[in-house]
Amino acid sequence: MARIGGWAGKVLRADLSTGRITKEDTVEKYKDYLGGTGIGYKVIWDEVPPGTKPFDPANKVIFGVGPLAGTGAPCNGRTAVTTLWPTCWPKPLIASGHMGGHFAAALKYAGYDAVIIEGKADRPVWLSIADGTVEMKDARHLWGQGIRRTTLEISQQMGPEVVVAAIGQAGENLVPMSVVMNSYSHSAGGVGGVMGSKNLKAIGVVGTGSVYIAGGKDEWEKAVKYHLTLLGANNQHVVPTSPQPWAEYNNPGTRWVASRGRQWGAAEPPVDTGTCEPHNLNRIAYRTNNLAFYLGDKAWKYTVRGNGCTGCPIRCHTKFKVPSVATKYGIPEGGQNTCAGLLLGTWFYKSFPDGPQGETAIEAAMVGMHLADDLGIWCNYGQLERDFIKMHYEGIIRNKIPEDEFKIFSWDKYEKGDPSFLFQILPRIAYKQGELGTALGLGTGYMLERWGIPEAEWKKDPNLVYWKLGHPKHHANEDAGQSGVIINTIYNRDTQCHSQVNFTRNGLPIDVQKRLGAELWGSEDAIDAIGAYTPMNVHKAKWAKWALVRKELHDSLSICNWMGPWAASPLKERGYRGDDSIESLLYSIATGDKKSREELDQLGERIFLLHRALTIRDMVTREMRTKHDTVPDWVFEDKSGKAPFTKGTIRMDHADIEKGMEMFYRECGWDETTGAPSADTYEKLGLGYVAEELGKKGLLP
Amino acid sequence: METQNQADLASLAIPDFIQKRSEAGELVTAEDILDAFLKMGALTEKENQRADFEALLKKTVKQNEELKRIVDGKAVAYYYSTRTMTDAYAAILIRRGQDEALLMAETVRDNSRRYPRPVPVRMFEFSPYSLTTEGISSCLDNMADQEQYHDIQQTITSIGTVFLFSTAYLEPDYANFLAEWIDVGQARSP
Repeated sequence: MARIGGWAGKVLRADLSTGRITKEDTVEKYKDYLGGTGIGYKVIWDEVPPGTKPFDPANKVIFGVGPLAGTGAPCNGRTAVTTLWPTCWPKPLIASGHMGGHFAAALKYAGYDAVIIEGKADRPVWLSIADGTVEMKDARHLWGQGIRRTTLEISQQMGPEVVVAAIGQAGENLVPMSVVMNSYSHSAGGVGGVMGSKNLKAIGVVGTGSVYIAGGKDEWEKAVKYHLTLLGANNQHVVPTSPQPWAEYNNPGTRWVASRGRQWGAAEPPVDTGTCEPHNLNRIAYRTNNLAFYLGDKAWKYTVRGNGCTGCPIRCHTKFKVPSVATKYGIPEGGQNTCAGLLLGTWFYKSFPDGPQGETAIEAAMVGMHLADDLGIWCNYGQLERDFIKMHYEGIIRNKIPEDEFKIFSWDKYEKGDPSFLFQILPRIAYKQGELGTALGLGTGYMLERWGIPEAEWKKDPNLVYWKLGHPKHHANEDAGQSGVIINTIYNRDTQCHSQVNFTRNGLPIDVQKRLGAELWGSEDAIDAIGAYTPMNVHKAKWAKWALVRKELHDSLSICNWMGPWAASPLKERGYRGDDSIESLLYSIATGDKKSREELDQLGERIFLLHRALTIRDMVTREMRTKHDTVPDWVFEDKSGKAPFTKGTIRMDHADIEKGMEMFYRECGWDETTGAPSADTYEKLGLGYVAEELGKKGLLP
Repeated sequence: METQNQADLASLAIPDFIQKRSEAGELVTAEDILDAFLKMGALTEKENQRADFEALLKKTVKQNEELKRIVDGKAVAYYYSTRTMTDAYAAILIRRGQDEALLMAETVRDNSRRYPRPVPVRMFEFSPYSLTTEGISSCLDNMADQEQYHDIQQTITSIGTVFLFSTAYLEPDYANFLAEWIDVGQARSP
């Protein structure tokens, strides 16, 4: 029998209660679930009883990677961390976080496709994985330290090649709003407290092996190079921000910010990002500068370079140096992060004295990262900060916390946009200090419950963009109309699905997007221009399903859903088409398990369906449509009173969304009345055993 | 004395020269190319050199599909290679330095029609427009006074950024919405 490639071959299981370390065969047990979230959902389904709480020893946390991790396929650096979710309110349900960096590759090179953490150690431990040698080590000297010091200490023990995924004080203190972080700036939100509840401080991985590619060397290299040609900038934006000699189009809203004259100003010597002609594959890493994208042109002078995950050419984490913060705040002048992690500090503030893209905003970003990335605090995609702003300015904090505690804070500094305020608030969250620190660390749902604030108030405030179950929207109607709304109903935390938004923000003109949409989802009607939405149709439902299935596929293959799928490309000679089969091409060559796009999508749909089943099982209801797949009020409102389907509003229509949900359920083979998958659908996707169990509990339609 | 050989070689070198200059974001005139070739020693100075070279260039452009000729408002001919420069970029360059108000207006109209979207006025300070702040301001004042530019309007986002759009293609409300989305909304939804 031909040797299977891609997978490392072993799943590691660490029982922290007994100290026992065992290994299982990945392909034998988990091949049909690929890896990543697939393995995670399967383990939770099989092994974690319904009703288990996130911090119970019976909960498990699965660090899963996929067959493409560590292979050299572009954008393969993701690790999925699956568990029962501490911030999911009112009842914990299945969810996953994802971290980039070097952990996924290191784990594969060490010989593992996943690490299942179960039980609870009787004292703080950390897990040392050095190829075949796996040990639980005493972490009492690390407990109480931040992520930085922990990483340093473990590096001194395991060597400079180690990749360390660690929790900070927030996770140790079972703060639900906490992360695990590896490779300096790559975090998986929401899981820190689960690790802390198990007394697991960190996992250190040294891997000296490699990943076997089943296909021929030339075939693999050709496929990888082909994939590289399709890449845009971060989030697969395929059009540059400013006109370039080679570019037919440009779009000021894209992340392809490189241009002659735009320099990494803090590099020595400064590096000009240049025109980045798309056929020049050696210039991919120069296209993106997320610091400048978010915080404006001033940020270029602070930029040192891009950084990111193993083997990914995009380099979406910006490494930057801001000398003023050393003097003003006593913190290191270097920082690195992207997206919400980069913006954590700035998002706490309503305004800054020098505007949203001034020096102060950049300093706030630095202070925020310095604190949160060491303490291990999660922002819940900005919900923490939005809640804070609302509650301060509406007097809620003042009403809910003791007067003595309220006086501790320098509210005048906060209101003036002084980044030093973050030194007061962030540690208090990590250490559960006082009523405010404790409440904020619970996550929105539990915080509202603690303070007796009806969730309904949050659901009608458009500034909060709160969605449900304690979490916000993540690329909903503002990016993708009805399809975005449907996508945001599905998960038990913020959706983290970028399949749809990578397409709508790619920068191409609307007629090109519609042409590509027609090829992929059956009609130009699948795609509307932003804020010029038209009534629901079946093609939008197909798009929504495609987006979700691909997200799960990516999270199980270890492909970055912040980049894929590759629906579009920067190549004019391809009509700006990407390649919707790139995942199956790479998977087939790497593993030797030849699958067409449709066949691999079916695997993705199986994994997606298992998430659905877990949610139904643990909610103990099949009435998903009314009890789970809900849409907040603000989605159906417009502050200027514009009606749905008029230009200039993202306001949705109730009846139209109901129609959309029906169409989506139909596409998925789920009952249209309840939103619960039918037994037939489970069977077709190889989950007959799931149907059987749910059937016994009366949870089938 | 220039030989037929030199002319043949020059004919082969012209496309490459134009392609490289296009890659660098530059249009070139016949004079630019000839001066460069003379400097390199690829051609020798002679009587009627310029006329002969123009004929050679014309023939070369005809023989090479990727080479294009574009004429500015003063009837000066420029050349670029579509291998490394798009028509869209060439169109910006040809208007730059000629009629900056028209350059701005046509850019705004094209963006409003095609994407559709308004454009931040600051965009014109950067390459390839490279207009000065005073120049932009002057253009906007001129446009306000001329009927042919009355479709070019402004909208200002909640953080004070000025965007331009064409009412021929974008309704003011929608332009305002899109400007706010580009300038504020997207960054709040990373």
